[in-house]
Amino acid sequence: MLTDLDMALRCLRAGSADEALRAAVRETAEALEKKVTPRWVWRAFDLNRTADGGIGFTSAALTLTGDLAERMLGDCERAALLVCTLGAGYDALFRAWEKRDMARAVIMDACGSALTEAGCDGAEEEIRVNCSGWHLTDRFSPGYGDLPLGLQKALVRAADAERRLGVTVTETDLLVPVKTVTAVIGLSRRPQPARIRGCGYCALRESCVYRKEGSNCGASA
Amino acid sequence: MERQPERFVILDGAMGTMLQARGLRAGEISELMSLNSPGAVAEVHRAYAEAGSQVLYANTFGANRRRLAGTGHSVAEVIGQSVRIAREAAGSAAIIALDVGPLGALLEPLGTLKFEEAVSLFAEMMDAGVAAGADLVVIETMTDLQEARAALIAAKERTALPVWVTMSFEKNGRTFTGCTIPSMAHTLEGLGADAIGINCSVGPAEALSMLRELRGHTRLPLIVKPNAGLPDPLDGSYSLSPADFASAMREIAAEGAVMLGGCCGTTPAHIAALREAIGDLRPDTGSRTVPPMICTPTMPVSIDRVRIVGERVNPTGKKRFQQALLENDLDYIVDVAVQQQEAGADILDVNVGFPGVDEAEMLPRVIRAIQEAVELPLQLDSTNPQALEAGLRVYCGKASVNSVNGDRAVLDRILPIVKKYGASVVGLTLDDKGLPSTAGERVAIAERILDAALAAGIPREDVWIDCLTLTVSAQQEQARETLSAVREVTERLGLKTLLGVSNISFGLPNRPLITSAFLAQALSAGLTLPIVNPNQREIMDIIAASRVLNGEDARSEGYIARFAGVTAAPAAAPSTAGLSLEAAIVKGLRGEAARLAREALQTQGEMQVVEERLIPALDQVGTDYEQGRAYLPQLLSAAQAAQAVFEEIRRSLADKGEKRISRGKIVMATVKGDVHDIGKNIVRTVLENYGYEVTDLGRDVPAEVIARTARETGAPLVGLSALMTTTLPAMAETVALLKTLDNPPSIMVGGAVVTAEYAASIGADAYCRDARAAVAFANEAIRKG
Repeated sequence: MLTDLDMALRCLRAGSADEALRAAVRETAEALEKKVTPRWVWRAFDLNRTADGGIGFTSAALTLTGDLAERMLGDCERAALLVCTLGAGYDALFRAWEKRDMARAVIMDACGSALTEAGCDGAEEEIRVNCSGWHLTDRFSPGYGDLPLGLQKALVRAADAERRLGVTVTETDLLVPVKTVTAVIGLSRRPQPARIRGCGYCALRESCVYRKEGSNCGASA
Repeated sequence: MERQPERFVILDGAMGTMLQARGLRAGEISELMSLNSPGAVAEVHRAYAEAGSQVLYANTFGANRRRLAGTGHSVAEVIGQSVRIAREAAGSAAIIALDVGPLGALLEPLGTLKFEEAVSLFAEMMDAGVAAGADLVVIETMTDLQEARAALIAAKERTALPVWVTMSFEKNGRTFTGCTIPSMAHTLEGLGADAIGINCSVGPAEALSMLRELRGHTRLPLIVKPNAGLPDPLDGSYSLSPADFASAMREIAAEGAVMLGGCCGTTPAHIAALREAIGDLRPDTGSRTVPPMICTPTMPVSIDRVRIVGERVNPTGKKRFQQALLENDLDYIVDVAVQQQEAGADILDVNVGFPGVDEAEMLPRVIRAIQEAVELPLQLDSTNPQALEAGLRVYCGKASVNSVNGDRAVLDRILPIVKKYGASVVGLTLDDKGLPSTAGERVAIAERILDAALAAGIPREDVWIDCLTLTVSAQQEQARETLSAVREVTERLGLKTLLGVSNISFGLPNRPLITSAFLAQALSAGLTLPIVNPNQREIMDIIAASRVLNGEDARSEGYIARFAGVTAAPAAAPSTAGLSLEAAIVKGLRGEAARLAREALQTQGEMQVVEERLIPALDQVGTDYEQGRAYLPQLLSAAQAAQAVFEEIRRSLADKGEKRISRGKIVMATVKGDVHDIGKNIVRTVLENYGYEVTDLGRDVPAEVIARTARETGAPLVGLSALMTTTLPAMAETVALLKTLDNPPSIMVGGAVVTAEYAASIGADAYCRDARAAVAFANEAIRKG
């Protein structure tokens, strides 16, 4: 199974859940994986330094600015854009379940988040294999640190993810289908330290109930 | 029926790929090149014309108002200039297509773009294309059947030009949204496309197997315009050489496609090689037959075997359903639909006609709601032309219409609508003179209906005949006449028949026996579409057995699966003896909770059951949840068991003609711009099961709509959710607007990024961290109010 059940349980705020809930999560994850598969596209670009000091993606209409981009890509000659999604099929399935069984739907929502993360891991591995001789930075996304959500549209377009994955961006910079993640991975000729740890860099950050209460789920400790 | 071209039509190749070689950066709006670098665009067109392209797609793919927003350029300007460049470059060598791609936003229900808004965005492009003098319209790279429908409807309504439509399928033969090839073919041919096919996404090798499936489902000329293989993620280049592409395309030409070109990664060299490669081939001009079929995007249902039409979405004789219609309770109606799908229905009949219900407004709403939860194709059951048109317009896929009859006025009123939206139609064998008593007269009416449908342009296989079931206890000889008519319509006219069967047994004891016997005889006479209650086991058993006897159920697999392990004696019920109603709710046992509620209602009043039994049980689960002894799914399971109890209470009240129990009205919405509404839906589920009457406006709801609804319902409480930082301003705006109402409601807010401080800063009355907190605040605000 691709889905990390512990991650799904953490999304449900049920890290220490009883066996019955764990079994329900497993069953839903299995049913979900039969219906939807994470799909991804990625594309590597050369980087250049723009006139105003930003980091430009050569031959793409995309420039990153700010502390996070500088810290992650300052030492990189190239970078890969990655978009991973469960697709509109997940949204249709989820909406149908929401109308039938809300309890099952919240479990599906958690499983969907975990499955999307598993897809991102798969994509990252593919990038690693295809970019031998390059060292990868941690994966980071709009919404982390000072990297604005406003970049979503440019990132999705530059990765051609609308045509190749059916991913769209709303006027409020939200990704649709809902289980979609965009990310950047720097590529350097030099080994890259792990720079990203903790909640600020988690894909679940925006919706995390632990973080909001000032605690954390324990996954990155 | 459709005329096949006698020669191949060579289309062009990629525009984006060619423009990127001329300075376009990944992610830029390529249509603006027509304004900024018209020479580069003209150069690409000329190169394709020289390579042999007979149709040039103008550089208008994404030139819709939504994508051009903020560029300072209008749709008319970009399309006018793009068509002009193509025309000048082509000379007399090629015709010019207005190229129409996806809007870049998902339509409802997957996204938030409204269907009519999509139609209007496309209509603007069509108008500009006509004004610019385009020779035809090509709608391409569609992945959502509903969006392809919107574009095609706009093209048919705004232009008289030929319209071609191609969609993009993945290797698994489905689009991103799950649309199947048969669904695409039947829906788009029905709506009046002039040619259909496949473009983008895959290379020619994968397109070939898709083409083989597609040609079995349409009579239209076929288009194939695939990519040059897959892009290399390291540099964006595509894998197939012109020679390899062309040899694969030769096979596609030999297998029935007549309009041939290339999509992403193809170049003039690919097109020249393609033209060379098909050399001596001649297109297949033979006519094709297609199976009768209706569909949704994900579920094509061919009418080549017995298909069960579920009859339960219908208010006739059902007080609870009538109440749901009058109260706008779409959830109940959707639930009836879901139960029929689960019981094995293949198609659902949908009838919402009832005094006091505006059918033209209600039918499309019910169709949208059912299509969100159920995959099955629908049969729109109405004689109201406005309702049928409104329903068919929003229905995604190919529907059927129930019904017309032999009355000329009815045929003239309904058939043009059936034709416009490409539906199947049921013809009742009666007319303005009434219901004929002999089989022969009924068949004669069926023939008249068929002739009228054919004259209206509706294909023969889309006409289904209802030979009418009469009550055997009143008119005994009529059962035989009905069966003879079914046999003759099937055998002599070659049409599919549909029959509501349960009416046969009215007024007799042991009705299911008579109904089952009649059903078996009708199936044997050739009935394909029995309209039944799929929740009735005896009926479904007869159909399962008939499918074995008529050979549809190969190796009796369906029958064996249905009855394997069934013994004569009913299995012992699980031991729930001694379970209380409260315990059933706490454990989330829906069936048990409903049964125990029925028991309780024999001795207690409705309100008493709610206040003294249901709410204390929900409170207990809520406390367990707060203290970490239960998790969200368990809280919701309990809420759903409570919902089953409420359903019993509502049924009990409906039977007595009394109104629902309401502890107060609440309006809920996820604010404008936000598409994440799971949190709001969780809160709503729990609030409803505490007895609150919730008007749920959904997601991406403008502030004005929320304020208007609050005013119209007079709800003392409004709940708002927002999940993302980018949509918080819309929440603040909504709160401010609600405060301007004469009698401002209390406002509770929640959502992942909302905090108590933020709630206070925008003037909300409460921040609710979860469903429990929302219930507590509702109790306080509404009781106090």
